[in-house]
Amino acid sequence: MTDKFLNDWREKALQFEQQINRVVIGQQDAVRNIVIAVFARGHVLLEGNVGVGKTTLLRAVAQGLGGQYQRIEGTIDLMPVDLIYYTYLNSDGKPCVDPGPLLKQGEQLSTFFFNEINRARPQVHSLLLRVMAERSVGAFNREYLFPHIQVFADRNRVEKEETFELPAAARDRFLMEISIETPDDDTVLDDLMFNPRFHDVDALVGEIDSSLIPYYQLNEWAVQIQQTIEPSPALRRYALDLWKAAAEPGRYGIGLSDVDMSQLIQAGASPRGMSYLIRAAKVRAWLESRTVLLPEDVQAVYRVTMAHRIFLNPIMAYRKDELMPELINGILESIAAP
Amino acid sequence: MNYDERSAWIGVLRLMLLLGVLISGCSGSLQQSVSRFEFLTPKPFGYVIGDEIAHRIVIDTRAGVELNNNTLPKPGELNRWLTINRLEHSQSQIGQGMRYVIDIRYQVFYAPLEVKMLAIPGFSVQFKQGAQTIEQAVPDWHFTISPLRELAVRKDEGGEYMRPDVTPGGLPNDDTVRRLFTSLFVLALSALYLSYLYGYLPGLPRRGIFKRAQRQLARLPERDLASALSVVHHALNTLNRKPLFQHKLNEFYRNQPDYRKLAGELNDFFELSNRFFFAGYGGIGRDDFDKIERLCRLCREVERGGR
Repeated sequence: MTDKFLNDWREKALQFEQQINRVVIGQQDAVRNIVIAVFARGHVLLEGNVGVGKTTLLRAVAQGLGGQYQRIEGTIDLMPVDLIYYTYLNSDGKPCVDPGPLLKQGEQLSTFFFNEINRARPQVHSLLLRVMAERSVGAFNREYLFPHIQVFADRNRVEKEETFELPAAARDRFLMEISIETPDDDTVLDDLMFNPRFHDVDALVGEIDSSLIPYYQLNEWAVQIQQTIEPSPALRRYALDLWKAAAEPGRYGIGLSDVDMSQLIQAGASPRGMSYLIRAAKVRAWLESRTVLLPEDVQAVYRVTMAHRIFLNPIMAYRKDELMPELINGILESIAAP
Repeated sequence: MNYDERSAWIGVLRLMLLLGVLISGCSGSLQQSVSRFEFLTPKPFGYVIGDEIAHRIVIDTRAGVELNNNTLPKPGELNRWLTINRLEHSQSQIGQGMRYVIDIRYQVFYAPLEVKMLAIPGFSVQFKQGAQTIEQAVPDWHFTISPLRELAVRKDEGGEYMRPDVTPGGLPNDDTVRRLFTSLFVLALSALYLSYLYGYLPGLPRRGIFKRAQRQLARLPERDLASALSVVHHALNTLNRKPLFQHKLNEFYRNQPDYRKLAGELNDFFELSNRFFFAGYGGIGRDDFDKIERLCRLCREVERGGR
């Protein structure tokens, strides 16, 4: 019975993926990762240049899930309360308090997009941490629950001025950090430039069938997926090795050019990070029509789930963009299974 | 005799005198057909039996004077003790005339008992000028020849005149030895390369990966599928220089195109491995073990270049 449900859901998930790929073209890898994140019920940190389609992608996801969508722009003067409520004088001159973007949709809020999160102050980050971890927030002397919320945050990597780097705790709560690159396929670029279909974002997003996946069932689906797919002892050993290698790459014979490996890592991935890795890998196996978790599933999501959790020594941190991909590659190419 | 007769006689005498002078000039030029004769000889002493003596004769003549080659001595024995080894002559144009250079190389075989004067006999060289024949004599050439040793051997003075000759040195055979060593070196290199191709070199682990794996497989108990799979996985990882996974097989074939022939077998192997390690596959049979052994054998054949 469970198998039948899982198969039906997979069909829908793959249709959902296809529809998004039709709206946001040339981003197959990113879309696959976002679909995995949706079904693993994890929050996503997006990184990419301006205008590459991050917002369109998120709106497409929100449309496909059918829930409510809210977004907020991170600015240096944004305060936590701005997310919860806003005050104004109404036409009668009376002061009024209305729910802010977080509370406005109540429990129907399924996609929350925090644009340029690194421009917001740490106070805002800490509020967001609670929303992400507990899917609830306290306001007006009561607890508001967001059982279906999935937070997408965007980090602009071009500008570093007037920004607040996300604290380690905040980064760790994101399931994935997905990089959205400008497509390099000429036909895709040509389509994006000249095809009028891609110029009207509202109509484009409207093409997505909003009844395909009921957002309020996602938590239930996710539990089923996680319970059905059981990793074997060999895979557990493999994942454990991957985890340890991220903390002590030198011990696993991983070397980077002109880097003292004993000095490279300040902190490896957290236990939460590893549980996220396996969660995402299971969803990937499910999307690949398997009930068996294979090393290739773990490898497929390793980069997106681990790269933002490994903290390099501050002396090496300025070379992070160059060293991190090398390190991840080195880990994946050094650990054998079985 | 009046004055007119006397002056007529003086005129006749002058004319005769002039004619006489002219005629004498003509006869002088006839005698000088050979304008220069030079006989170049070496020192006339200090020769011993077997020595060669080189003479050069240089004769300059007027134009039109031709050397008669038949009048030159012929190479060969001249007499009992004298031989002409070589005779060369050349001619060249100088100014109005010709220059003849004759080189003669004599060898003396006279064994004197004491210092003795000998003479190389002279000869006469003939030239032709039209019907006329001109001769130029080459004089005898005198020289002294000495014995090689004293007549009597005086052993009483401790002298040992008669000694055996120095034994001759061996023929040079350096080249042969060098060729021999070059051939041996090339042979050794070829043998080394062949052993490398066949995977016989123990120090080169990447050629003997599957040979070792085969040995390890042979030692395993039949039912130990986990170890058998691990052995082949390890061998493939070593060959690939990094862990090889099923989804990386295409990349592997790009780096190791020889193994593309085994694509089917390798894929089956990874399927089996995935089933066994990650899907809790329990139905292990003799078949599975045989398949692994077969794959290992095929890989070994590829490794040795046999397939």
